[in-house]
Parts: sequence; C-alpha cells; structure tokens
Amino acid sequence: MSPHPSGLQAPTASDLVVAHDLTRQYGEGEAAVHALAGVSASFPAGEFTAIMGASGSGKSTLMHCLAGLDRPTAGTVHLDGTEITQLDDNRLTELRRDKIGFIFQSFNLVPVLTAEENILLPLSIAGRAPDQEWIDRLVGIVGLQDRLTHRPAELSGGQQQRVAVARALASRPAIVFADEPTGNLDSKTSEEVLQLLRHSVDEFGQTIVMVTHDPVASQVADRLVTLQDGLVISDERVTPRVAATH
Amino acid sequence: MRKVALRGLLARKTRLALTALAVALGVTLIAGTYVFTDTINSSFDRIFSASYATTDVVVSPDDEVEADEFGSLDPIPASVVDRIDGLPQVAAVGGSIFDQDGTILDGDGDPVSNGAPNFIASIQDIERFETFDVAEGRLPSGPDEVALDKSTAKRKDFEVGGTVDIVAKEPRKTYKVVGLVQVAGVDSYGGAGVALMTLSEAQRMTGKEGQFDEIAVAAAPGTSPAELRVAVRDAVPETTYQVRTGEEQAESQTEGIKDDLSFLPTALLAFAGISLFVGAFIIFNTFSITVTQRAREFALLRTLGASRGQVLRSVLTEGLVLGAIGSVVGLALGVVVAKGLKAMFYLVGFDLPSQGTVLEGRTVVVSLVVGIVVTLLASLAPALRATRVPPVAALREGVALPESRSSRFAFPASIVLTTIGIALLVVSLVAIEDATTGLSLAGAGAAATFLGVGLMSPKLVGPIASVIGKPFGGVTGRLARENSVRQPGRTAATAAALMIGVALVSFASIFAASAKETVSGFIDRGLAGDAVIQHQNGFAPFSGTAATQVRAVPGVDTLSGFRFAQVRYEGEDEAVTGVDTTTLTKVYNVTEGGELISALRPDEVAVFGEYAEEKGLKPGDTITVRTTRRPELQLKVAGTFEDKADLLGDFVLSNETVAQDIGASRDSYLFVKFDQGADQRETREAISALLKRDFPQTEVLTADEFKDDQASQIDQLLGLIYALLALAIIVSLFGIVNTLALSITERTRELGMLRAIGTSRKQVKSMIRKESMIIAVIGGVLGLAVGVVLSIVFTQALDDLVLSVPIVSLLVLLLLSAVAGVLAAALPARRAARLDVLEALAHE
Repeated sequence: MSPHPSGLQAPTASDLVVAHDLTRQYGEGEAAVHALAGVSASFPAGEFTAIMGASGSGKSTLMHCLAGLDRPTAGTVHLDGTEITQLDDNRLTELRRDKIGFIFQSFNLVPVLTAEENILLPLSIAGRAPDQEWIDRLVGIVGLQDRLTHRPAELSGGQQQRVAVARALASRPAIVFADEPTGNLDSKTSEEVLQLLRHSVDEFGQTIVMVTHDPVASQVADRLVTLQDGLVISDERVTPRVAATH
Repeated sequence: MRKVALRGLLARKTRLALTALAVALGVTLIAGTYVFTDTINSSFDRIFSASYATTDVVVSPDDEVEADEFGSLDPIPASVVDRIDGLPQVAAVGGSIFDQDGTILDGDGDPVSNGAPNFIASIQDIERFETFDVAEGRLPSGPDEVALDKSTAKRKDFEVGGTVDIVAKEPRKTYKVVGLVQVAGVDSYGGAGVALMTLSEAQRMTGKEGQFDEIAVAAAPGTSPAELRVAVRDAVPETTYQVRTGEEQAESQTEGIKDDLSFLPTALLAFAGISLFVGAFIIFNTFSITVTQRAREFALLRTLGASRGQVLRSVLTEGLVLGAIGSVVGLALGVVVAKGLKAMFYLVGFDLPSQGTVLEGRTVVVSLVVGIVVTLLASLAPALRATRVPPVAALREGVALPESRSSRFAFPASIVLTTIGIALLVVSLVAIEDATTGLSLAGAGAAATFLGVGLMSPKLVGPIASVIGKPFGGVTGRLARENSVRQPGRTAATAAALMIGVALVSFASIFAASAKETVSGFIDRGLAGDAVIQHQNGFAPFSGTAATQVRAVPGVDTLSGFRFAQVRYEGEDEAVTGVDTTTLTKVYNVTEGGELISALRPDEVAVFGEYAEEKGLKPGDTITVRTTRRPELQLKVAGTFEDKADLLGDFVLSNETVAQDIGASRDSYLFVKFDQGADQRETREAISALLKRDFPQTEVLTADEFKDDQASQIDQLLGLIYALLALAIIVSLFGIVNTLALSITERTRELGMLRAIGTSRKQVKSMIRKESMIIAVIGGVLGLAVGVVLSIVFTQALDDLVLSVPIVSLLVLLLLSAVAGVLAAALPARRAARLDVLEALAHE
C-alpha cells in the first residue's frame, strides 16, 4: 500500500475504525491544550497497530476517542460502520460492550471475582451465555487452566494481565484496545503478553490497537503510528517480531 | 498538624456533613427534650404565678397523698372559711371550686379534648382573687351561664351568645356561653379546657355543695403574707389542709406538675441516648474507613517527622470539629423539634402547654458536651489505629493498616459482652426493685448486648449476605453480594447501627403484641359480665352517678363499679382498688378469695397474696395507712386473694370505704351483667343512649370491644415509640450512605473499568442499590434476632406476660429495612453511575 499524500493511509472498505480530522481540546482560550490537533487514521480489520509517542503526544487521547471513552472536540470516528462521536451514553456503553475489548495497564480485574468470572465478566454484563468452546480455547491459550478459581490477589502480575487479555477476547469483540498493556510488567512477562496479542491477530484475525511508549512492545505490531504534539508524524508498516514458540 | 486535620475535613465536605448529622440527630433530641419540657414547665409556672399573684394565703387540701392517680383531693367544708373570716389579720376570704372532673362537649356531643382535663371552675366572689381575665363578653352571673377558655372556644367554634353542653358529677346540662376568658394573657389554661361558672352552680355540678376546692385569703393592711399564713394555720390546724402563701402555692403547683411530667424528659432522653449510641457507631465506622484510606497520608506525615501523638491529635481534632459542628446543628434543630414533640404528644392525647421557647443554659451545655464527648470517644479507636501506620508505608503501594492487636480477641469478647448484656437485663428485671436503677441497668444491658452482637457480626455478615443476596441474579447481584462482604468489619459496623433501631422496633412491637395478648387473656379470664362502661379515653374515672342511672335501665341485672385509689403505706404509694363487695363476683372472676372480698366489712382490707407475703401480713393484722382524707386509717387484714386477671391492686377495699375514707367517689370501670332473658344488643343500646345523653364522656363496650379498646391504647403508645425510634433508624441510614460513598471512592477505578467494558449506568446503580439492600437487610436480620431474644428475656422475666410474636409485622419490618437500603443507596448510586469513565480509570 502506497502512502497517502498526507502521509496517512486512505480509508478502504475493509477499515474497521476510521478517524477523520480528530481534534481534542482541553480548556479554553490562552490556556487551551490541543491533545489532538487534527488526526485522521484508519484501522483495517485483522491488523495489529501500535500507537507510539512521548507522554503528552496525544496517543492515549486518540485511543480514548477511538474507543468511545472520550468525545473529540471536532472530527468523526466510524467504528464498524457507526459514527460514534454523537452517540449518547447508553448507545456508547452498548457499543463498548458488544464491539470493543479493553486491556489496561493496571489490569483492572475485579478483586472479588475469580479469574474465570473475570474472564466472563463482559458476557455477564451483556447477559449473554458464554460460548464454552471458545472460552476453553482462550483459557488454554492464555495458559490459565489451573488458575481459574483463583482470585486476582492470588495471581502474579503476568497472570493477571493474561486474565485481562482473555477477558478482552471473551466476547469476540470487533476490536481490542490495549492501553500500555506491559507498563506494569517485567520484560519476561511483557513478552508473554505481547505474544498472546500477536497470536490472537494471527490465529483469530483479531484487530488490535495498542498504545505504548515501549519500543520493544511496538515491535510485535504490523504497523506503527507515531504521534507528536497531537499530530501523526509517521505511519509505517513493520515486520512483526514473532516469538519462535508461537 | 492542626491545619492538616482541618484541610482533611474540608476536602470531604459531604462525608463531613453526613457524619456531623449522625451526631446532630442525637443531640437534636436531647436539646428538643429540654426545650420542650422547660417550655412546658415555664408555661405552667406562668399560669400558677398569675393565678396566685393577688392572693396572700391559700388553704387547700393536703396534696401529699392523693386519692387516686388522677390527683383527686378531698374538698374543704365551708365552715373552714368561717373560721378564717373572723381573724383580725384577714381583709377578705373566699372559697372557690376548681374541679378536674368536668367534660365540655363539642357541637357533636363529643368531649372537646382526648386527654387533657376539663376544669369546672367557679368565679371568685371577691374580684381580686380572680385567676381569669375576660377576653370577650362577661363572667357568668346565673346558674345557666358559663364562660369558656378562649383556646377551647376557638378550637371548637364556641361563640359568646351560643350554647355549650357540660357534664360533671351531675348529668349533662346545656349552658349559655356569656364570655371567653384568658389566663395571664394566654388563651389556653395549660392545654386544659376551663368552664367557669357561678360558685353555687359549680358546687352543684361537681357535687361539692357547701364545699370548696380552695380558699383564698387576703391580708389586712400591715400584715405580711407570712404573718397571715401563721394566723390562718392557727385557725386551721388540721393536717389534711395545707396553708401556704400565694407564692408558695404557685411554686408547689408548678413542682407538682413537674413531678407528674418527670417521666417525659427521662423517656425522651432515653430515645436521644439510643440515637446517639447509633450515631457513635456511624462515627466510629466513618473514621475507621477514612483512616484506612488515608494510611499513606499518615505515613507521609510520619516520614516528615510527625510524632504518633501528632497523628493522634490530628485525627481527634477532626473528631472535635465534627462533634462541635454536629452538636451546634443538633442544638438548633432541637429548638425546632421541641415544637414537633408537642404536636406528636398532642396526637396521642397529651395536650401540653408551651408558650414561647425556653432555651436554658443547661440545654446548651449538655447538648454540646454530650455531642462532642460522644464523637471524641467514637473516634478514639480509629485515631489510635492511625498512629500505628509505619512511616515506610508512605513508599509502598496499596498499604494495609496493621491489624489491631485486640482484633484477635474480638470474637470471644463479643460473646462475653453479649452474655453480660443479657445477664444484666435479666438481673434488672428480676432482682431490682427500684425502677430507676432497674431501667439504667436494663439500658446498660441492652447497650452491652448491642455492642456484643456488633462485635460478633463481622463473622456473621458473610453467611447472612450469601443468603440474602441469593435472589439477586446476574453479574450486578453477584458483585453486590461480594462487595458487601469485601470488608466484613465495615459492613458489620454499618449494619449494626441499623440493627439497634430494628431490634428496638421489633422488641417494641413484640412487647406490644404480648401486652395485647395478655390484656385480652385477662379480660377473658376476669370479665364475667356482658359489658364494660368506661371513660372514652379509656383511663379517666367518671361520675359515680352514672352507675346509679345505668342500674335502672331495663335488662340490667347487676352492675359493679371499680375505683382506683391510692393510700400511703409504710412510706410508699400503694394502689387500692375499691370494689362493690355485693356484686363483684357476679361480674368478675377473682382467682382466689372472691368470697372473702364479698364479705369484706368497711374496716377491712383484702391483700394481694404476693404483696402480703412480701410485707408479712397475716389475717387479723391491723395496718395503718395514710389517705388524702385520713392521716391514720386503721384497716384490719381480712385475708389474701389472688387475681390472675390483674385488675385489682395490692389492697382491695369496699367502695364505701374508698369513698368515705379516701375520698375517691368516681368509678373507673363499671362491669355490667344483663338479665338472663334480656336482648344483649337492645340492652346495650339502651345503656348507650342513656350515657350519650347524660354522661357523653363515657361509653359502653362489649368484651371484644373492650379488648380492642385496650389494644388501641397500646397501639397509640407503640406509635409514639416508633416515631421516636425512627430517629435512630434515620441516623443508621446516614451510616449506610456514608459507608457506600466511601466504598465507592475506594472502588472508583474498578467502576471505571466496569463502565469501560460495557456496564451501563443502570447496571452500576442497580449494583450499588443491591449492595445497600444487602447491608440494610443484614442489619434487619440481626436486629430482628436481637429483638426477639430481648423479648423472650423480658416476657420470661415478667411472669404475667404472655409472649406473642407478630410475625407479619416483623416481616414487614424486614421488608422496610430493604426499602431503607434502597433509599440510602439513592445518592451514592447516582454518583457511582455518573463517574466519568476516563477520570475513574485514572483514579489512584
């Protein structure tokens, strides 16, 4: 694919998420901060994108706007064909519930629920019966078969994040957003989690957008988008580094 | 450090407000009680001072021993006036009637008040003695004229020129209203109704021809009231009369009322104590939670060099400020609540006067000191815990406070405390004679029981929550259940606060149901007649003339009157029942000794078996009692009796003796037996028509109606108790709000995550509501359990009481606690649902 004249890729029919000319401004007048200063980007289905940038570059804001957690000041976001920036809270909640999976830096598991219950949480919230075969397969992949009845406090950081990955994938979302998923992990467990994400893209065709400031983490992606001062400064394809074991 | 404490408070304004309110509500009732009772006392003081302002000396019947519980005293014969009239120190002397046995009827023929007395008063022949001022019209001058107090007239639409019906000892009579009167510029005579008549008409109406209730004397020029009193005393040396100066008389009357109403502040303060006790739970819990949440802050302060003492003082300063704010707010609310209390007492039949608002220094001091001390005590344990945070905790994530050393002993201690509490209750009920000591001991026992169960409850919340939460399906239900037991100690303390209110409410309703059951049993066992005649308010005595008239109604076979009088025996006021010896056993089943009572001679007394044993009285003994009429009345013990229906007092005398030697001539109950062939309904209706015409203050009831009436009196009292306990329950709801709010703060990030992965606002609200419901129902279940146990202890200790558990009421109570939980969740749930997802996710 040849680079777009603006330095961005042009949207195509297979694009799952399309952001157009997003700006996000905090505050008014002189004190206004432009977290996003006009970002357009599209994310095709089945692609693993890493968004990088220094702190304050706008990478987290971009992800929040794409995921319907934050509203841009201007611009549009289409997610799976729906324009989401004007949706009310209920519609946004449903959208997040049915189409999006989240992985957070600090795991954010519910401490009073077991690992298995945490994995099934999005389905429980939606009131949907789990596809047991799929869940068993996920549990096998994240390697938590013998940890299912444990509570988060009884799991290591890496195990907790693997539960979080399984949770994000449990409802077969159209897209998974991962916000610094390795930020709280050591390098060995980081690698395990990153390879899990890579694996889900390769095996299930999962679409993933990951925000990270860790250059090592970004190497598992298919594509690397770099932001600076609220603008996209580079958007390049990369060859993902795949661990030999997977 | 003080700055840290104050900044800390300001940073949490809502919580501060809620916690301060928990203190404030208890203080409110303290302040309200004092303001209410002080205002009543000062109102009476004003009335009595005005009444005797122009009277130098008053002669009145001795009120040391009263004829009955209603304060009846024996009138003074007119000859006493003559004796005083001749004295050289006397300028004027006049007798008057002031009789509380009247009933003023409204336009519908019903009594104008449902509890406060109606006085039949005579106008004074000598104008300077007149208590009442004419506000409208004039004073009565003929036997068919009357003046009414302006308050009653206003309330019941009486006007000068109209008519009013009045009943006293004599049957109903219609009077022309010629005037409306005030006392000391106030429309109401202390809440009572007053019908002012000419002296001779008042004497006739009250059956006191040739007698007075009071004699007023004015001193001749040059004689002081004190000198006059000495002179009058010499002329009237009988100890059955009291001679006082006007000032002394006013004081004595005020004191008398104060004594009569002394139960009021005691009872109300007990409820204030309950609310404060519940408030203390809330304060303790809130401080425990905030201290935990601020562990890192304390550690940081310690790292920067703050000593343990400084940390302690900083937390206690928060308590002090909170207590002070709460107490001041409570004091202010108390002034408002005093008016509410008056309205509440009016509803259940106590019309008490309150002119203006009396805020005494003592009220302010007690309210502030109690509020602040309770808050400080409740915050002491959390403050001590704060001092144990190690400085290194400042550098670590997710620090937990060290377990307090004592927590290991919490469970055994809780069992010991509960046992001691129940033991104290039993002792107070069984072994303590003195009512005040008994009640304080019972209070301490209840408090120890509550603390004990409260301490025990962290172990209980888990199992109870899993049962209560079972019906809650879905992930919100599951999370609510888990969240409610995440911090068992916290949930336990929150639920325990509600437990106290629920326990007392369920105790009260079980006790009331048992009392109703018991009374109903008494009536079944005791009443052998077909009907009962009583005062409409269920307790006041009424004219003895009614009996004479009802006896003549066709179909009436036997009629027997009961009079409740009082004598002083060995320094104690003892209840005496006057019975109609010839007819008693035909209408009433005396368990044992009925024949003995039937054969009772005028100089004989029958003694209640247990009492005779206690006092060592045997048949043939002679006892000496003091009555309002006889300083020394000798009675021969005829024998003892047993009375399972519990109507008769410790002493039973014939009605003749009660009337002659005690001066109680009014009946409290008339039990009626109809002729064998008489139509029950017709006879009852004939009696009813007669009573309606001549004695409308009375009513005739069948045994079932009599039971219902007794039950409704118990229910009224129960209503009052519920209203007062509601305060404690409201305080405990603040506790739930507080705990939820604090827990939500702790779980902000988790809530953010739940919202991010698709939990709707509705689901978040539902989750918080269910959690709140679980906490509240835990309180409800514990409360019911404690309430039932307390009731069993009480009913076992009081051997006459039959235990009756009103299952439906208790289930409703449980349901109400669930509803209360939903109410308490309203604000925290809304806040949780409105959390901004991104901010919540970024929350530390």
